[in-house]
This record gives sequence, C-alpha cells and structure tokens, in this order.
Amino acid sequence: MTVHPPNSLRRASLAGVALLWLAAWGGTEPTQAQGRSQAQNSRNTRRPCSDGCVAQVRTSGKRTVEANAEPVRDRVSRNSLPESGSSSPSFDRSQSLLAREQGRISSPLPDSKADDLIQLTFTRGGGATSLDSNAEVVLRGPQARWQLLVTGRSSAGQLQDSTRRVKYEATPPGVVAVGETGWVTPLANGTARITASNAQGLTATTTVTIREIDKPQSINFPNQIVPIFTKAGCNSGGCHGRAAGQNGFRLSLLGFEPREDFEHLVVEGRGRRLFPAAPEQSLLLLKATGSQPHGGGQRLDKDSPAFGLLYRWIQQGMPYGDATDPKVVGIEVAPEMRLMSHGETQQLAVTAMYSDGSVEDVTRLVQHESGNRDQAEVEPTGLVQAKERSGQVAVMVRFQDQVAVFRALIPHGAKARPSLEVKNFIDEWVVRNLQTLGLPPSGLCDDATFIRRTAIDVAGRLPTPEEAKRFLADLDPNKREQWVDALLASPEYADYFANKWNAILRNKRRDETSIRGNFLLHSWIRQSFHENKPYDRFMREIVTAAGDMSRTPPVAWFREVQQIEDQVQDTAQIFLGVRLQCARCHHHPFEKWSQQDYFGFSAFFSRLARKSGSLAGEQAVFHERGVAAAVNTKTKLPVKPTALGSAAFDLAPDQDPREALADWMASKDNPFFARTLVNRYWKHFLGRGLVEPEDDMRLTNPATNPELLDALARHFVEGGYDLKELIRTICRSQTYQRSSYPNEHNSADSQNFSRYYAKRLNAEVLLDAIDQLTGVPTVFPGQPAGTRAGQLPDNSFNTTSYFLALFGRPNHSSASESERTDETSLAQSLHLLNSRSIQEKLNSPNGRAALLARDASRTDDDKIRDLYYRAYSREPDRTELKAALDYLRSKSEPAGRNAGQPTKKVEAYQDTLWAMINTKEFLFNH
Amino acid sequence: MLTIYGPQHRLCDGVSRRNFLRIGALGMGGLTMPQLLRAERQAGIGKSEKSIIMIYLPGGPPHQDMYEIKTEAPSEIRGEYKPVKTSVPGIQICEHLPLLARMADKLIFVRTIVGAKDSHSSYQCMTGRLKDNPPPGGWPEIGSVLSKLRGPAHTAVPAYVNLSPPMRHRPYNFGQPSYLGAAHTPFRPEGDTREDMTLNDISIDRLADRRALLASFDRFRRDADQKGAMSGLDAFNEQAFDVLTSSRLLEALDLQKEDRKIRERYGEGTPQHQGDAAPRLMGQFLLARRLVEAGVRCVTVSFSFWDWHGKNFDRGRDNLPPFDQGVSALVEDLHQRGLDKDVTVIAWGEFGRTPKINKDGGRDHWPRVSCALLAGGGMRTGQAIGATNRLGEEPKERPVHFQEVFATLYHNLGINASQTQLPDLANRPHYLVDGYQPLAEII
Repeated sequence: MTVHPPNSLRRASLAGVALLWLAAWGGTEPTQAQGRSQAQNSRNTRRPCSDGCVAQVRTSGKRTVEANAEPVRDRVSRNSLPESGSSSPSFDRSQSLLAREQGRISSPLPDSKADDLIQLTFTRGGGATSLDSNAEVVLRGPQARWQLLVTGRSSAGQLQDSTRRVKYEATPPGVVAVGETGWVTPLANGTARITASNAQGLTATTTVTIREIDKPQSINFPNQIVPIFTKAGCNSGGCHGRAAGQNGFRLSLLGFEPREDFEHLVVEGRGRRLFPAAPEQSLLLLKATGSQPHGGGQRLDKDSPAFGLLYRWIQQGMPYGDATDPKVVGIEVAPEMRLMSHGETQQLAVTAMYSDGSVEDVTRLVQHESGNRDQAEVEPTGLVQAKERSGQVAVMVRFQDQVAVFRALIPHGAKARPSLEVKNFIDEWVVRNLQTLGLPPSGLCDDATFIRRTAIDVAGRLPTPEEAKRFLADLDPNKREQWVDALLASPEYADYFANKWNAILRNKRRDETSIRGNFLLHSWIRQSFHENKPYDRFMREIVTAAGDMSRTPPVAWFREVQQIEDQVQDTAQIFLGVRLQCARCHHHPFEKWSQQDYFGFSAFFSRLARKSGSLAGEQAVFHERGVAAAVNTKTKLPVKPTALGSAAFDLAPDQDPREALADWMASKDNPFFARTLVNRYWKHFLGRGLVEPEDDMRLTNPATNPELLDALARHFVEGGYDLKELIRTICRSQTYQRSSYPNEHNSADSQNFSRYYAKRLNAEVLLDAIDQLTGVPTVFPGQPAGTRAGQLPDNSFNTTSYFLALFGRPNHSSASESERTDETSLAQSLHLLNSRSIQEKLNSPNGRAALLARDASRTDDDKIRDLYYRAYSREPDRTELKAALDYLRSKSEPAGRNAGQPTKKVEAYQDTLWAMINTKEFLFNH
Repeated sequence: MLTIYGPQHRLCDGVSRRNFLRIGALGMGGLTMPQLLRAERQAGIGKSEKSIIMIYLPGGPPHQDMYEIKTEAPSEIRGEYKPVKTSVPGIQICEHLPLLARMADKLIFVRTIVGAKDSHSSYQCMTGRLKDNPPPGGWPEIGSVLSKLRGPAHTAVPAYVNLSPPMRHRPYNFGQPSYLGAAHTPFRPEGDTREDMTLNDISIDRLADRRALLASFDRFRRDADQKGAMSGLDAFNEQAFDVLTSSRLLEALDLQKEDRKIRERYGEGTPQHQGDAAPRLMGQFLLARRLVEAGVRCVTVSFSFWDWHGKNFDRGRDNLPPFDQGVSALVEDLHQRGLDKDVTVIAWGEFGRTPKINKDGGRDHWPRVSCALLAGGGMRTGQAIGATNRLGEEPKERPVHFQEVFATLYHNLGINASQTQLPDLANRPHYLVDGYQPLAEII
C-alpha cells in the first residue's frame, strides 16, 4: 500500500481487518472469564470496553472511530505505537492490531527501575530447556507463537524483568509482528532479527525463524482443544469436571482424559452440542459465550482466539488428531525463580515439550494460578504481579497433566545485618534466605525463655523451679546444649514423642477388644523413642509388621488401616509426605501422580492377609504367597509394585512386597523419606514446616528454603536416621533460639523463621502444666495414679476428659497432625476462667494455694518468686512482684475470723494462681 | 406469595418451565446466581442475620401419618388418622396437627425426601451426608459450616448452639468435631459447658478482682503472636467474661425472661427423655428463637422419640399435639417478630416408616421416603412438595434428595452450596452439597 489514508479511517480499516484477521487465525488473545470484554466490538454495535473507553466500528458504509481502541490504562503501549508512517503500513497494521490483542495490564509499570540497569538480554531460547538462550527460536505454522523474555541486570547484579519495558523492532519487517508484551506472531516465512531497546538506550537482540507459514497445523483435540476447557474453567471440579458432570454435560477433571471428553462432546448428547454446518450454532459455543443461558455464565469471548480455535475445530468436523501426533511430555516455566519488589511484575514464559522433540510456547494456553493471592497475582497472559506482602509465593502452571512452578521471592527490603551469628548449617541457610529477603531477624531469646521453650518442645512439660533456678545461675557456656541433652535422655521425651506418633498411627480405642492393642502399640512406640531406634528401622517395623500383636506390637497399626486404600494413603502421607488420595480416581490435580502410580503403590500391600489373633477380637497380619499386583481401576490392568517414580519391582511370590517398599523408602537416595521426617520435626520445633502443610510435599508446593530442607535431610541420612541427633541439631541452632519478639521489620514474617513463632500449649501439655502449677494432678480412669495427660495410651480419654477434647486433643482418626487443633474458642475461655475442675484444683486443701497459704516458713516474696519460676521459669520483675504482693496484702484476713472458713490469704493465692494460668505467657510456648 | 398446586409442568427434556425461565433470566444478563448474591451483598442488600433452627426428630417420624394421609390406601396401610383441610386449598395433613393446619400458608410440607439409609442416627440430618466413607476429619454439620463461614451474627454469642441433651442411643447425638476443627463444634449450654457458664464457687466481685489481677499480670507482648492466636484468645476471654457476668447469651437462655403468655403458647412438654432419645420440651423451641435473636447462627433441638415400632397411633396421639403446638408457636412467633424472612425452620428425622402396619400396631423403618417441614427463611410457603404413591411407599412425583434440602437451607443463608468449598484434613476440597440445587419451588 502506498496511499496513506487519514488517521481515523486508517485505524478504522485496521480495526475491521483486525476482526477478520482474528476470526480467521484465531488470534492470540485468550479470554478470561465473564466480566472482561475486549475493546473489539461485534459488528454494528457499540460496546464500551471494560476500561471505560469506547470504540465504534462499522464494517460497511461510513467508517468512524470514536476514540482510541486501546485500553486506556496501558500508557506504555500507547507511547510505543508508531504515530507517523515511519514504518511500512503492514507493520503499522500489525502493531496496532497487537496493541489491541494485549489484554489488560493491571497496573502501570514503574519506570524508575529502568535507570538502574546495565545490561539487557533475551533470556529465552528455543531449545528444550527454555533457559537455553542460545538455541534458535523456530516457529512452525501460522498458529505458533512465542513469548519473548527480556531480562535486565542491575549494577548490583539483580535480575529484573524488562519484557514490557522495552520497544521491539523486527527486521526485516513482515516476517514477524512483536507486540509490547513481547508476544511474537508469525507473518511470513523467513528469519527476523528482533531488537529490544529500553529508554536508556540499552539493547538486546535475538533471532526468530518462521517456517511453514502457509501450512496450518491440523487441530489436535488433546493438545489444543482440551486446554481451552481447563483454562476457561469448564472442566474444574466445580462445574463439568465433577464426577456427575453439570446439567447433563460431563468433562474429565482438568482434562485428564481427552478420549472421554471427545466422547462426551462429539458423540453424546445426540450430536447437538456441535454443529459443523453452522459452528456458531453449536450448543457448546452458544453456552460458552453466554448467548444461551449457561449456569457458568460467559466463559469465552466471541472475539477470543480460543473461540476461534473451537470454531475452526467444529468447522473442520471435530478431528481428534492422529495417533502419530506428538504428545506433551513436560512443561517448563521461565524464569523458575525471581526476586521481585512490591508491585513489580514478571512475565512468565511456558514451554511445552513434545514426544517428537519439538517445543512449543504455551504461555497463553496454560492455566496460571497463584499459590497465595495476597502475595502475588497472575494474569492469563502469564504476567505475575507481586503485591504488598513480603515472603515467598509459588505460581503454579498447569497444562494437560503437567505442572510447573514459578517461585517469587518478595523481599521485605530492609538491610539485614551483615554479620549474623551462625552456629550450624541450619543457620547458614536460614541467614542466607533472610539476607536475600532483606529481613533482619530478632535477637536470641534469654535463658528463661530457652529452658521453658525446650522443655515444652522436647519433653512436653514445664521446667521445675529447681531446674530453672539452677539453669539461670549456671555460668557454663555450653549449658543450653547440656540442658537439651538432659531432656533427650529423660523419660518425658519418650512420652511426648510417643504421644505425637501415637495419634498419626491411629492408635484408636474402638471397644474392649482393642484395649490390649492400644497399650501394646503405645508402649512399643514409646520404647522406640526411649532407646532412640533409628527412624528407618522404626518405619520398617511398622510397614512390614507381621504376625500377632502380642509379639509384634506394630501389627496393631493395621487394625485401623483395614482397607488397602488406607494402608497406601497413610503410608504415603506419614512417611513420604505425599497425599496420594486424589490419584486414586483421577490424575492428581496438583502433582504428576497418575492412577497408574497410585495402583503401583497399592500393589505393595496387595499380599497382606489377616487371620484371628491370639485374643478374641484381635487380628494377626501375614504375607500371603502370590504375585504382588493391584488392578488399575481405570485401565482394568494389573500393575506391579511400583514405588513413586521408581521402576516396577519384580518380586517372587514368597517375598513380602512390603519389605521391598521399606527398602525403597529407607534407601539413601529416596527423595521423600528423610525430607518428610525432617520437615515434620522442623514444624514441631519451629511452628511451621519448610513445606507447609508438612505432609503435602509436591512440586506445586515448594519449600520456602529448599536448600535447607535438602541439607537437613542429608544430615539426617548420613547420621544414620538418628532422631535425637536431629533434635539436637535443631535446638542448637540460632534459628531455633531466636526470641519471639519481633523487631521493627519482621512482625509480619510467618514463613522465614526470622523469629520464633509462639504457639499455644497443646491440650495434654496444658493440662499437665496446670496440674503441676496447682499441685493437683488429674486422675484418668483406668490409669495408674500419677499418669500425666501426655502419657495416655489412646484417644478414649477424650470422652472422659472434657478438657482434653475441648483443647483439641486429636481423636486418632487421621494420619495428619492437623487433626489436632490449637484454635481458641468461647468454651475454652469459659473453661479456663471458670470451670469447676480448675476451681477444684485451685481450691484443693492439698493444692499449691493452700500449701503456700499455710507455709509460715517463707515470706510472701519468696512464695511469689517460687510461683513465677514454676509458671514462667523466671524471676518476677519489680512491677510484677509489687502487683502480686499488693494483691496478697489487700486480701489479708481481718481480725477475728471464723476458723472453719478458708482464710482470705488462701483465696488470695487461689486468685493469683488463677490469674497466672490465664496469662498468655503461661498458655503459650514463646 | 406464589403458590403452586399439584405437580409442576415439565418440558420434554425434563426441565421445569419455571426453572427454564429462571435460568433464562439469569443467563441473559450474564450473571449467575452466586454473582447476583455477591452483588447483592456488596450493594448492602441481603442481611447477615440469617439463621436456622433445626428440629431433629430422632427415630424417623411416620411420613404417612403426618403430612400426607394415604386416604386411598387400604386400612392396614392407611391407619387410624384422618386428614384435615388446611388453610391452603388442596393440602391436607393429619388431624392431630390442627394448629399447623391452620397456618399451612406459612409452611412447606416436603413429602418425598429420598436418599436416606436405614440407620438410626442424626448424621444425615445434621451433615447432609451419609455416614459411609467420611473424609479425613469427618463431615461437618451444617451448624459447623455456618460457624466457619459466617460466625455468629453477634460477637457475644457462639455461632452454633446445640440444645439437645445427651441421648441414650449414641448415634442420635451429634456435635462431633469434623474436618473444620474442634472450634466449630456446637456450644452446648448443657453439661460441662453450662457448668462453666455460671460462676462456680466465687462471687461476681471476686471474679472482678481476679479479672483486674489478670490484667496486671498479663503483660506479655502481644506482638510475639504470629497467627492471631493471642488476639483470638483475648477476644474469647472478653466474651467469656461477658457470659459470666451479665450476658446476651445467658439471658437468651433464660426462659423466665420471656412473657408468660408466650411461654404458655409454646407449652410445657416434659423433660423426661422419650424412649432412648430426647425429651419433649417445646420450651426449647422458644429458647431457639431467643438464641437466634441474640445472634446465634444455627440452633439445633432434638424433640422426643419417633421410632414407633409398636402402638404407632397411640404414640402419635401423644407426640403429634405437642409437636403441633410447639412448631406452630415457633413459626407464629417468628412471623410476629418479623423474623420469618431471616430464620429458617426445619423439622425432620432420618427416615420414614413402613406403609404396612405391623402386628404391634406400629410401623418399622422405611428409608425409601421420608418427610420434612420447612418454614420461614423468606421461602415461598404454603406448598406441599412431592407426593408419594397410593400406598405411601415411594415418591410418585418430585422426589427430593436430602441434599436438595440442604442446598435450600444454605441458599436461605445466602450461601451457594454447590459452589462453596471447604477442604478436609487431607486438603481435598469438598463442596457443601454435591451438585444438588435448592428447591426451585420454594426459593
């Protein structure tokens, strides 16, 4: 074209062409769910775009344009639109075309950062690993697209996303069109050299080659159509992806079963869902665009590329694709990790790898999901925006049955003190993380806090006043380590950890016949901890338990995990940190586990048989000779024992496959076993797992400090799976010993261990602590006198003890420690403030209050100090002492009292104890 | 109010005409029901004081002796009761429910509940789920869900209160922790909790002294808190002190504060447990009304014993009149106080009873069909939903799955049950109901 029509007319004609172009090629813009319409308009209508600007287009007769068609907020793109006719008209056309394609950029991009950069690079190559910036980018066919990534490096060495902060130019023109978002669209065969330049004049170049522009690919249903349903939410668990479908139309969950989806769409429904002769009349399209009443509302825009693709697919007669078409074997997201400041954006680029070795950009076809919308949001175009909250957040990317994850680290921004004390490798990794995030940690806790904290975390009790006084007075520089060692050697350590494992090993009292098993299992667990049995042996003895429970107590575990599903799911959850449940019925939605993986794991338990045990109502467990296999309920074929990600095991019929499973779990390279345990113990001591929840380790739920997790796991394995040594290592670190008081920077931190996270004492520990303080132990029916709550052998005491049930003691019904809750409630407050049982402890004539009141040999001063040591392991300060003594004095008995009544002094001590019990310092482990 | 008589008209693909129009209206505008509700909420329409009162009838009340007398069945199935006309032309209910009959325009009789299992337990009525294969943690009761999603309408009261005393047949009892956690179990102002609510052995002055002392001791820095646990504890402590001193909750539970005439209208009943189930205390319906007024989100009451394997008609004559009196008083009361739009009342049991009367003059378990009574909640009352066949064996038209009833209850509270998810202890999300929609005839 050599004629330059007036601006308005040109834009209008461009708009008209744009529509046709988009309709023909399906364009590039994925549409979002209802509520966001594009700036483009359907013919002859006037529709405001969601940004408030208005465009009007007529495709015949007079062409007028009211206002700009670009989204108003996109200041950057407007600036980069060529105003004059400096480049050739066809380039012009494609530029403004692509300007409209862009989709919304939700916030203006700050330009201030740009000054800081010293280098620009294109950081995404066309190779199988998308970070390979050297591999050539080759796009085949007119549907191919490419998301460019331009990264700037600052003088400080920090990497920043500049993808949307540069201007793109491609030479020679006409080969590709590059939008402001770095989105490349092929126009003609050839090779183009693309230059990105930013406001400072820094440039970067890359080349893109286009081939086979005139050979549109045939549409492949699983690769191209099914992802549309995933991205638009059609096949989610809430709509058509649910087991019963929705309103008579069913799709497989998240598109895991394309064959089935094809059946449902094309064959079912009397063929009325799709209408090749007039595709726009297909029920599928009418409902999806909201033209017909649709319970899910409008999911696709008529002008979107997804709509265009569906349209073409229907028009072509709904091809499924050839069996020889390549299949997706993996996806990768670039970058994998980035440091981002508040409000900053990062463009993601996702590459799909196919079975024939080819790669394809699927950035706008995949489903992007932020792991925490308070910290980061992600748009359908793959643009991540960091919000105000600092910390780490994962963005999951899903395409068919593949997942990948992008990690954003959003630093707090303060300068961390350069020299932070480092006691062991734990501190090294934590400090490194804190420095990256600019999060200064709190200082170390004082001795009083330390002795109380460790006594609770290691042994489930408070220190005695004598222990506390001795510790505070001790001048030995190693006293903290010695104290931890002493705790680990004490019987209370075994009690406390036995109580923890007892719950997740489901030691449940069902009826009278389970009592013996309850006691046996509990004792066995306790003994294992007492003698510091290596953890791999502990696991092995449980998983491979056989025979009668009187000889082999861990056989009692199999009582509660009766069905093979329970055995599989519990083993995976407790020992491998994997929640395999989802994969039983369909492909796991967040991980790579398929049903085949599930049933492969099942096969390890397929030869387990039972017979009556030595006592009525009990069962013995044994291995039944035979070939171990489980039937995959989907394929109906048997599967050999296969551990997660391993090769299939070929086992002889008289080999108990559980032994092979235990071997695999305990092997030094097992990626799950050690990491799960150290993560679980990390959570026990530090309040939050490195992976949270602690039994949900998956790719899409990354650890907040993966290097630390690996280092801990390695240390644990190399040390012979020594649990006490692990505890020692954790307690020795500065990280564990930090104060829970925040500094001015880290009060919002809840992920990075810049301080100790205070937690309320759990039910058993709290009850025992109250008993200790008041001097009146709780009596548990059927237990020897002096049994503490932490020593109870099963869950039945939750029915007899209102306190334990109320404060969240688990019912041993789950393999997850989250069955125990530490949530507060009105009933709990009422109980602590006013219950009869606690009143009785306070009022008991042999309890602490009465003893103190009767004791004439000590001053009130001494007694108050004693109480403070008992409850808080420390001295009271002057104000506290004064407050307490004033209270005691104010309640002193008047002259001439009745001898039978409790003296006011006693009441004063009762009140004092009551108040101490209800302070946060008592109720919390801080 | 729109009333529907008899069966619905249906289009050829099974979609009812009304349904179609409704869907059409929504689809055209491009907004779905949840969006409408959300938009409504944002615009301030749609109050947040919605609540429900669930009256559980342990044992399984006889559906054919309450809301749908089978006049065309032979006498060994029909039994002794006769139907009476109600204030709604075309609906007839049992002669022993005269007060309810008079106000049938304010009620909804659901005659065809299906989906039940033959199991004497409150589980299905409370959770809207069957007992098989519960998820890790266990299914939550509707009160627990409301406690989790909404909390109470007033901070000084708990969200979910259970007025049922412990019943001898254990599975009738409810209020267990679920995957929502122990914090959302119902507050039972009975037993241990009730004891904790009244001052134990100390005077109110002494409590005040203690409280002041606690304030002077409790100086631990709140900023050490990371999850809000300390502030949660403080908030509940405040609430607890309120309860212990002078309180909304205690007053709500004090029947003496209610006008004598109103108490008489509800009736006395008897505190003696019937069978192995609950007492027959209509006063608890009045308590329930007081509690929802005070801001409780869900109140559950268990009423009497309905598992009549023998002497069905005698026991009916003992139980139906008090039921009639209590429920009619409650519904009337709610209407008079203008609470009928906000408070939903439901009365039902776990299954129906056999059509054939057995040799003891009783009826046995019949899970194939059962019944429910609904009122309030801004629903379109004055209807009977569904009809059983001639012998009362199963639904002839319009079977209603109990999850549809749950969807309706949630809907009345402004929650879209088939779109709202809560995760269990294995982090697997579950919808509140599995795809069932609220009863279109009444919402």
